[in-house]
Amino acid sequence: MTPRTARLKQNILDKHHHDFRRDVELTFTPEELAVSTLDEWESIVLEKKCRAEKPVILTEENILFTRSVGHFKYDCLPAVLSGKRFGMFPANICADWERALSKGLLGLRDEAEASMTRYCRDATAQNFLCSAIRSIDAVLELASRYAEAAEAAGRSDLAIIIRHVPGKSPRSLHEALQSLKFMHSCLFLFSNHVGLGRFDQYILPYYRHDIEHNIFTETEAEELIQEFFISLNKDTDLYPGVQPGDNGQSLVLGGVDRSGKPVVNELTMLCMRASREVNMIDPKINLRIDKNTPHELLREAVKLTRRGLGFPQYCNDDVVIPALVKHGYSLEDARDYTVAACWEFIIPGRGMDVPNINGLAFPAAVDQAIRAKIGRGCFEELERAVATNIRTQVEDYIRLQKTDDFCPQPFYSVLMTSCLERGKDINHGGCDYYNYGIHGCGSANAADALAAVKQLVYDEKSVTPGELLDALWKNWEGHEDLRKHIMGSHLKVGNHSKLADEMLVKLFGWFADACESVGDNGRGGIIRPGTGTAMFYIYLADPNWTGSEPTVGATADGRKVGDFFASSLAPSPGAEVAGIIGVLQSFSQIDYSRICNGGPITVELSDTVFRNEEDLDKVAALISTFANIGCQQLQMNVLDTAVLEEARKHPELYRNLIVRVWGWSGYFVELAPKYQQHIINRNTYRL
Amino acid sequence: METGVTFDLQEFSLHDGPGIRLTVFMKGCPLRCNWCHNPEGFEPETQILRCNGRERSIGRKWTSQELIAHIALQADILRNSGGGVTFSGGEVLSQADFVLETIRGLDGLHVAIETSGYGSTSNFRALTKAVDLVFFDLKLADAEAHKRYTGADNSLIRANLEYLKSQRKAFIARIALIPGITDTDDNLNALAGWLYGDSGLQRVELLSCNPAAGGKYASLGMEFRPEYDEYKAPNCNMQPFNDLNITTVIM
Repeated sequence: MTPRTARLKQNILDKHHHDFRRDVELTFTPEELAVSTLDEWESIVLEKKCRAEKPVILTEENILFTRSVGHFKYDCLPAVLSGKRFGMFPANICADWERALSKGLLGLRDEAEASMTRYCRDATAQNFLCSAIRSIDAVLELASRYAEAAEAAGRSDLAIIIRHVPGKSPRSLHEALQSLKFMHSCLFLFSNHVGLGRFDQYILPYYRHDIEHNIFTETEAEELIQEFFISLNKDTDLYPGVQPGDNGQSLVLGGVDRSGKPVVNELTMLCMRASREVNMIDPKINLRIDKNTPHELLREAVKLTRRGLGFPQYCNDDVVIPALVKHGYSLEDARDYTVAACWEFIIPGRGMDVPNINGLAFPAAVDQAIRAKIGRGCFEELERAVATNIRTQVEDYIRLQKTDDFCPQPFYSVLMTSCLERGKDINHGGCDYYNYGIHGCGSANAADALAAVKQLVYDEKSVTPGELLDALWKNWEGHEDLRKHIMGSHLKVGNHSKLADEMLVKLFGWFADACESVGDNGRGGIIRPGTGTAMFYIYLADPNWTGSEPTVGATADGRKVGDFFASSLAPSPGAEVAGIIGVLQSFSQIDYSRICNGGPITVELSDTVFRNEEDLDKVAALISTFANIGCQQLQMNVLDTAVLEEARKHPELYRNLIVRVWGWSGYFVELAPKYQQHIINRNTYRL
Repeated sequence: METGVTFDLQEFSLHDGPGIRLTVFMKGCPLRCNWCHNPEGFEPETQILRCNGRERSIGRKWTSQELIAHIALQADILRNSGGGVTFSGGEVLSQADFVLETIRGLDGLHVAIETSGYGSTSNFRALTKAVDLVFFDLKLADAEAHKRYTGADNSLIRANLEYLKSQRKAFIARIALIPGITDTDDNLNALAGWLYGDSGLQRVELLSCNPAAGGKYASLGMEFRPEYDEYKAPNCNMQPFNDLNITTVIM
């Protein structure tokens, strides 16, 4: 980093910009509270929020936007909202940044005007388009105040830029990044988990323009991109999430274009370098690869992996694209996929999928079947009970969802591909995809439990059904030998166990069957089963948790009450594991053409793995292997457990220590203790 | 059919040869190096390791057929990456017949061994002939010192090294740098002399010792008694090798 960007980073870590913050109470007139539509209400709220924001021009910053309002408070709600229950606000999706940048908000406003003429007899469209225009104007009004403030602060260079964008099409890389920063930040005024999409694609024209016209050298351009990355870390404490750092600022690099042509370019490399240099938790980098990805690119990616930030997360195009097509996405759209927030595959500008409605609790589905069926009939009967339980869970989740309304969101709609043209809100027909996603949680534990029961109770008959049930009800008390036997057995996912792998594949097969049999999700989409866990690896282990997902006590894989599950796809904590190859091979067997909501194989490497340059090549070869054997997504973390232990004892000394939690990275010392413990307990490969 | 005992199989081991590798650690070793960090490799039989209230059985018995079948599960991955299998230990020469029979069933997969060179000449010759790459762990050139710190005489090791050189077999020499014992200028000079001359030597790897070397002793009911300062930085002197134009890296 340059001294300037290093100072910008330090200022954020020191939270100097918090000095400019205050909370603001929003007030509404009786007329405003009497609005007849939610579109209008949402545009009024955004307008109030934009007006409440005061421009902040921080020293040395070249990309502007700093939140001056910590929290917006308002307790009055409009009449139109009464009696409605909103399950889902638009979040975990990705705008059509390419279009939003190139048209500019004024260009989009023109489109909205044109649509108003076209749909002059359609009251719903009129109402939506009016609200969209009102939202655009609110954001542009804030931008114009930023221009004045920049001028007043003696930064006429920046005033020129922010007078031009986000209203008009950027004329340079600097303007493009400023425009993106401004619109992205405004989405965070009401939404959360706002994806950044395929950054190395939509920023490329502006980058090349500047290089070709000698406006910037590559180094200067890189510095500006570093500043953009740093700026994404600025107000993240205001962004809602389960834990600090869970904010969905995901950025995708590489892959193919809509015609299938590989599009890795100089920005792909530059962004990975910049992320490595900046060394902060945002943006979260994802890299699309396939079996032909050049070794050099992987090597560069591994250098970033070595940093220990937990990214890039690797996505295998060879698996993801065909699966999306099978799930009803057009081939062109599938090729254009991005990662929404953590790992969810989504189409920028066109997808209003809700990829995380619930988590399928595999452990409960298996455990309930074992307790109800063991010893009664054959193993296939027990399997059928598991399949039924999975199906019941899926149906319950969809039933719950159907009671929820979807709040319109005019400004997010503005930034999507077709909402303005169709005169339809993002949540009401403006997009092309309205699928749901359900995470698939605790799969390894559940598979191990089935494998143990099949082998010990049904095949060998070395354990009686009564003995196993007694052990489960008593949390293994008095059955310590049996528990040890099961924990130490080779029948585990990640351990070249045919039986455990077969169970894993079956579980996901039943999950896919259940989702497919539900068919329409009630909003014109399907249900995508996934392999991620999000926070459910903690929640589902807590018998007192009160969410919709069923929890479990002790489980037949040898797990005790309260022990956490693995995060996304990883062997059961504490299980015998052959090693990384065994883990990849187990998870490569899942039929990802039917399981395509995302959720990475999660691997922890000890930081001692990286001793010399050759190790970069080896880890790059491992990532190639991941792609070659048909896995879908991979998340590699580099950890030093001793350092984590120290950080827990002396948090003040480890304020900047970054760890990957699930689909996102965060500062270790800011995590709740149970999340810290889970990371320390993960199976670390020293090699 | 031969049977053998391993104490660990490490997948994707990074520092045991080219490409993606599976390292098979053979159990049992005739040496007792004072600094050894794999004491579970000493005894040829299976053992119980007790650690933090948990017990784990160390050692797995295989027929060569079983081990071949196990390796076959990932052979494609190893082969496609330009990698293969490395037999380490313990001392691989102590189970030479088993390892040889296993190698014959691996269908031409790249194979390396890591050995102290302390084993019968016939075993050494047969095994090194059957593999593609040899890691030769050298310790001390001085016969007295070798006996004192490893419990064994080094003349057999020297003879096996000479044979390996004469065969022009591809090999990498490894020297663990133990402060005040193996890392002395005298020892490094002498070992450089051993390695000098025409041979298939690819490079020398100097390994800094691991301060947690003694970690596993207590859990095996043994005592770690290092005759050196574990926390002292070793003397990473590449000069003796550089002087003789031998490529050397520190790992």
